Parts: sequence; structure tokens; C-alpha cells
Amino acid sequence: MRKLLSPLLVALAACAHHGPADLAPLSLPPDSVVLPVADSAAAVHLLERFAFGARPGDIAHVEAVGIRGWLEEQLNPSRLDDAAGDSALRQYRLALRDPADLYADYAPGPPAARADSAARRHQMEGERRLAGAVMMSALARHIASRRQLLEVMTDFWTNHFNVFMAKGADRWLTADFVEHAIRPHALGRFEDLLVATATHPAMLVYLDNAQSVAPGSHPPGRPALAVMPRRGFAPMFPPLPAPPRAEAGLNENYARELMELHTLGVDGGYTQEDVIGVARILTGWGVAQPRRMGVGRYAFEFHAWAHDAGSKTVLGVEFPSGHGMDEGRKLLHLLAEHPATARHLSHQLCARFVADAPPDGCVDAAVAAWRRTGGDIRAVLVAIAASPDFWAPENRAAKFKAPLAFVASAVRALDGAPDTTARLVGALQQLGEPLFMHLTPDGYQDAAADWLNSGAILTRMNLALALASGRMPGVTVDLDRLAPVTSDYDALVRNVNAAVLGGQGSEHTLQVIRQQIGDLPNAVNARAMAVGLALGSPDFQRE
Amino acid sequence: MSHDVSRRVFVKAGALSLVSLGFDPLFLGRTAYAQRVPARGPGSKTLVCIFQRGAVDGLSMIVPYADEWYYRERRRIVVPRPGSAPDAALDLDRRFGLHPRLGALKPLFDAGQLAIVEAVGSPDPSRSHFDAQDFMETGTPGDRATRDGWLNRCLAHDREHRDTPFRGVAMGPQLPRALQGSAPALAIGDLQAFGIRAPEPARDRLTAAFEALWSGAETGIVASTAAESFEAIRQLRAANPAQYRPADGVAYPAGPLGHALLQVAQLVKADLGAEILFVDVGGWDTHVNQGNGANGELATRLDDFGQALAAFARDLGERMADVVVLTMSEFGRTIRENGDAGTDHGHATAMFVLGGPVRGGRVLGRWPGLAPEQRFEGRDLAVTTDFRDLFGEVAARHLGVAQLEVLFPGYDLSADRFPGVLA
Repeated sequence: MRKLLSPLLVALAACAHHGPADLAPLSLPPDSVVLPVADSAAAVHLLERFAFGARPGDIAHVEAVGIRGWLEEQLNPSRLDDAAGDSALRQYRLALRDPADLYADYAPGPPAARADSAARRHQMEGERRLAGAVMMSALARHIASRRQLLEVMTDFWTNHFNVFMAKGADRWLTADFVEHAIRPHALGRFEDLLVATATHPAMLVYLDNAQSVAPGSHPPGRPALAVMPRRGFAPMFPPLPAPPRAEAGLNENYARELMELHTLGVDGGYTQEDVIGVARILTGWGVAQPRRMGVGRYAFEFHAWAHDAGSKTVLGVEFPSGHGMDEGRKLLHLLAEHPATARHLSHQLCARFVADAPPDGCVDAAVAAWRRTGGDIRAVLVAIAASPDFWAPENRAAKFKAPLAFVASAVRALDGAPDTTARLVGALQQLGEPLFMHLTPDGYQDAAADWLNSGAILTRMNLALALASGRMPGVTVDLDRLAPVTSDYDALVRNVNAAVLGGQGSEHTLQVIRQQIGDLPNAVNARAMAVGLALGSPDFQRE
Repeated sequence: MSHDVSRRVFVKAGALSLVSLGFDPLFLGRTAYAQRVPARGPGSKTLVCIFQRGAVDGLSMIVPYADEWYYRERRRIVVPRPGSAPDAALDLDRRFGLHPRLGALKPLFDAGQLAIVEAVGSPDPSRSHFDAQDFMETGTPGDRATRDGWLNRCLAHDREHRDTPFRGVAMGPQLPRALQGSAPALAIGDLQAFGIRAPEPARDRLTAAFEALWSGAETGIVASTAAESFEAIRQLRAANPAQYRPADGVAYPAGPLGHALLQVAQLVKADLGAEILFVDVGGWDTHVNQGNGANGELATRLDDFGQALAAFARDLGERMADVVVLTMSEFGRTIRENGDAGTDHGHATAMFVLGGPVRGGRVLGRWPGLAPEQRFEGRDLAVTTDFRDLFGEVAARHLGVAQLEVLFPGYDLSADRFPGVLA
């Protein structure tokens, strides 16, 4: 495998520095990588892991172009026409407005205005609408986009570099973070992604680095920095952190999570001294904010006055004093290319794509690809897809879908489309995975044990029934194209199996569905029940 | 005291020895579901665990106002000495004072129902929320290989009561690590909404259909989880816990914690056999502007926290004789305030134990002091009570768990290590 992969990896390494908007074309020549033949079971497996499940026609498409062909399409997302994803996004355009404009339009007014209850209600409504639009802008594209691998990886990295939308200015910044820090690099190079997240205001606010300054340092000139947006009244939003003041000091929060979660992993061999060293190196990495309504933008800003002027040591590497922001660039490079990072991230990717406890073989293959290419994400994904562990029978249908995967795949299976409201995100909320609302920086977990419990199973059954009977708020489905109404219930069950379960429904599941609809006189009800049971079956909870 | 423990040891040892520890085949299947036998009535013991996620600042909850270093290291976020200001600490024992916004708990302390354990925490030095929470929930600090939680192992100790799916319940959409494991446990976000939602008679029909779909199709944890769900639906419908309104004059604070504790009270009153109940409450990671005795993020959280616990105790009334509430948090926060008028990740914190069986009105645990040479790693409050000593005491003396090495494998825990929160 190693030998077969190398021509491809050399090709990738050569173009490693391109941003994803300009991702270099990538081909997977047959002699570079071994992939199995696409039978329908393999196609279903591929679509459940490298996409948010199959839409009608997807399985046939994979069978037609082959696994290699499908991966090539998905690894070159700009070649895929994505009118569907674009038009889904247009419904939630609010989310993608400039953060400063959102601040101007949605931040609470002056205290006098906030005392007025009607104004307060209006304010809360606005914040809710905005939060809904931000969540839907992600969910709707996960469902509709043809660039499914880009969507899967955007979700993966957004969760990896978790931010919490209800924290302070992240109300206005989260969608921008996903759009400009995550998505462009989701299939690019890890170091570019790391730098993009480290310098995005949403992360600087979320993990408090914007607040971290060298002890005893003072901003020059003006006594206080720009005024930050003030606290909203919506209960979901805690008060905003105050801007750094003259007496502010070091804050370790980002420094610690940068190593523990974003790069090295908790076993990555760093110490508390290293955490302090990283925090000192990153002092001054701050945020420029709108100074008042309509003036100024949110942006990364390096505050030289706040930067710790001493020399530092991290992981045994000296950072001589006096290099300002370059110290941080050097640090991020050090972390990105550290072997512990390659292993930590490879393990996480394999846990997502292969199995909750991924076998060593696929992790080693991913690590090897990572290190040969300096962290080229596409190369790592190809290595995972080509790993025998990925295709091993014991790893097929072996993962329990996280709530996002359940909701997105259910809507995709029914060829559904979110309406213009944000009500569909309510389903994610009920299942415990509201997007961008994970408070702690570890993000949502991805293992069965985290999602498999009695209450959650019942919630899935209820959502399945609602979706199948057209009662799911916020989404429209058209069952007629999928499984036409028929009084031939054997044919109905066959159609539902093909459409919802990719033809892979277990004998028991199909038997129970057939039995349960057997005495229903109304064929429309029978169809709704069959679809609902299929979506709420154990088979559909697996991927 | 130790006599009492050893008596319980003999009663429960037989059942415990059946449990193979650390090798529980979590994903091979849970304990098979036994036939229904009557649920337990009043007189059975209940433990309510409240996890303050995010590492609560114990030095603000329980203010060590007699320790001069508290006022030397904190300026913008201090709680004043008792009697010295309108928002001063409420004196507990001439050494410690309660945060003024926890005032709702003061009558419970004075009545001897509430004990406080100071300087409690993990022997593991991790300042990672996620590691430290995991360690506290698995009960094996420093060992990441443990997959099941100490509360789940607690449930597994006693097979007499495996008839009810409500023995272990987490109020929320997900089961916390502490309750994950081979013994059945439920996660319930809302008691009212638990079940298949459809108008009668479609509801019964659909419930039966899903039960058939899940019961025969799968083996292992998926099947047993589904079986628990359907059994819980049946029992909840029969018991209808929502009929239990809060006692007269009791108002739970609006918000997730108050709602969760209200439902905990309903489950206890409905006699569904709830033995271990688990509630999460977040928002304690106060890196920035945590505030002081009067105002700020922490004061708001503590107000809600104190009101919710006090409402729960009043609502349960005499039932509190069989209930112990244990609060926990993964670690404490730095002694010195940081540059943003907040605190960073520290080491030891304070925990509350509330209930009828509690020997309350006391601040327990050895106070290590805040002076620089007394600190852990030179910066944080040192741990003088291993959290397992406290949890172990509650498990042994309240729930009658005998073999504490089953709860905390590899840890040599005997009664002389107990902080003494229970008689």
C-alpha cells in the first residue's frame, strides 16, 4: 500500500500550499491506490461515511462511476456543480452577512432601549432568528450539497475546532468562522486550517486569547480599547467578556486547548510549563472590533503592546525574545508538524470514518500519509478509504449515527428539503446536538456510547414518524417519487427498503414492517408507517 | 461508625462479588432484564448527584475568609468577610463563609442537613476539563482505559432491584459517563415527553411496532437499550409522575437545573425505584469577569444553584430522610485571579452533601491553606480529600455498597478515610 500510494502523495505534496478554493486538481490513478469494486453494499458504506448518507440516485451513481471515480469527484469539489447547495444556502443568507453588520443590526441597543420590554422581545427574537439561520446554513448544506465530502469534513473540523455561538461576539462571528476559517481548508492542509482558526476572531473570543496580554502591559494612547457589543437579553447568551484592560494578564485557556484538543492531544507530551509558554507566545493575538455601530470590522489584530517580550520555551524549542507575531507562526508550525499531532488527528479521523475504536492499521496508514504530505487532508482521507480496515465487514454499519448524521441522512433518504424556517434544527436540539452550541471546546463526541441511550432512541423514533408522515416541522418531503402509494404491500416494503435502507435492511426489519402494515386498509397510512418504521429502525441508526 | 459499615459489607458482599470489574463487556450486552417485581416504596435510599461542569470556583462558593491569602491573591472577585459589607460571605464556622448568593442553603446548613467538604478533588494533576471529568466519572483518576462509570458500577452492586429501569436516571438528552456501563440506566430530558408521540390508539400500535422492530433485530447494547425504553414507557404511564406537584409554597427557579430537580422530585415521589439520579449543570468555567459577592456570572449561577437545591429539599420534605444530594465538579480554580478578573483551571474545590442522613452544619475536610508553600504545584488549592473518599462514604453509608474497590478499582479505601458526612 505504501508503495502504491507514493506517486499520489508526491503529487499532493507538490501542491500542498494551495488554498481549497484553488485546491489543485487531484486524480487517483488506478496504480496509485487500491480501492474495491463498487457493489451496492460498498456504495452504501462509502456514502454513509464519506457523505451524509445516500440521496435517491446516489447509490446508482457510485456503482456507475466506481469508488475511485466518486472519491475523485468529491476530492475535487470545485468541479462539482453545486447549484443545490448554493440555493439551500441562499435561504439562510442572513447567516453569512458580515459580522460587523450583524452586530450593528442585532446587538442590543443602549441600556435605555433595553429597559423597554417590547424592544427586549424584539431583540431576543432577532437573536433567535440569527442563531437559527446560522445553524440552518450548515444543516441545509449538509443535506443539499453535492459536495458531500466537503460537507462531512466541514462538520468534522467545525466540531474539532469547536466554538460556542452563545459566547459574546461569537453570536456574530460563528458563521463567518465556518465559512472563512474552516470550509476553505476542510480538504486542504492542516497547518493552513490551524492558522485560520487561530487567527479568527471567533476562536480568539471563544477561548479568551483576545483577553490574554502580557502581565503589566498597557494599550498605548487610548485608555480603553474599542467598545465591545454588550450583553443581550436572550437567556442563551451569557454576558460578554470585557475588553482587556491595563491590569489584565495572561490567560491560558486557548494555549491549553490548542495543544490538548486541536493538535498534540492530551497525551502529546506537553507540560503545564509548555501551556504557559504557549500562552505567552500568543499574547497580543487579539481582535479588532467595530468601534461603534457601522464603523469598523471584526478582524484579527496583533497588539504588539500586549505581547510578552521575554524569551519562551515550548516542547524544548527556544523562542528567542523580540519576534512578535512570528513567534506564534513558528509555534503553530511546530504544533502542526509535530508527530503527536499527526497521530492524534489520524486517530480522530479514523474514529469518524472507520470505527469508534479504530484499528491500528488504518490509523497507521493515515499517519503515514499525514507525515509524507505534511498534513494534506485529502491524502489522509484517501489513505483511510484505501485501508482494508475501512472495508472490513466488521466495520460496516458498525457506527451508531450521531444526531446530525441521523437527521441529515433521514432527510436525504426522503429527498427532502428544509423550508425557509429554522425549525429543522429543533430536531438536532432534541437529540442533543444543536450545532455551534457545544459549550466546551472538546466539541460533540462521535462514539455510540455517547448517543445510544433510551431517551435518544425514542426521540429518533418520534422524529422518524414525524418525517414520514409529513409532520416534521421545517422540512418538506415527497414520498410519491420515493415509494408510490400502492396496495401491493410487498412491493411497498421493497421500495422502502431500497429508498430508505439502501436495500440493506435486515430480514427481521423488513418482516416486521410488512407485518405491521399488513392490516392497514389505507395505503397512504401504510406507506407512512413503513417509511417511519424504516427510519426509526435499528438498521437506519447505523452507518 | 466503622461497625455500621462492616455490617453493610456482609449484607452486600455476596451480590458484589458477581461483578467482574473493569472487564465489563460494555458492548457485548448489558445485564439481562429480569422479570418485573414490585418497585421499591418509601424507605429505599436515593442518591442525587449534581455535576457542576466546567470546574466551579470552590473558593467563591465557600469563602475561606480567615485565610489572609484569599484577600491577597484576589481583588476584583473577592467576597468580603462576614458582616463587613452588604454582599459579604455568610459565616459558617468562623473559618469559612457561604457565598451570599447561596443564601438559600444557609438554613439547611444551620439545620444540620447540609455538610460541606473542603479541598476535595482528584489525585490526578490534570487541568483538562475533559480528562478530569472523565476521571471523576469513571472513578479511576489517571486511567483513561476505564469505560464504565462509578455510578453504573454502583447500580450493578445490588441485583435485588434490577426490576425497574429507573434505578439509574440522568435528567437530560444523554447519559453521562458516570452512568454508562453494563447496568441499565436511562436518560430522560422530559418525563412528560418520554415515549412515542401520537394520538391514541395509534400510539399504542406504534409503540408495539417499534418494540417488535428493535427487540428481535439486535443483540447487545442496542437491544437492551431499546428494551429499557419500552419498559420505562410502560412504568411511567402507570405511575404518571407529573401528578406530583411541588409541595405548597415551593417554587423551583426557572432554568434547566430547577426543571431537572423538579423532575427528580417527581420520580422519587412516584416510587419508581429511582436509586441514583444524575443532573448536569454547566457554566462554571469562569475565566473572564466571574464577578464578586454581589454581581457577575458566578453570582448568577450560584443564586440559581442554591435556590434549586433549597427548593428540592423543601419539596421532598420528609422524603429527604432517605435522600442524599452530592455535588461535584472536576476541579477548582486558581487561587490568584487572572488578568481578566476571572480564574483559570486549578486543583481542589468544595463539594456539598445535603439530605436527611447527613451530619451537616459542618465544614469537613482538612484545610490545606492558601499560602504559596501550601499550594499544589505552587499555585492551586491542594487536595486533602480524595474525591473517592467522599463518594465512597456516600455509596457505602447511604446506598449500602460494600466492596468499594469495585467502585474505585485499585484504590485502597477504608472507612477511616471517609470525611464523615454521614452517620
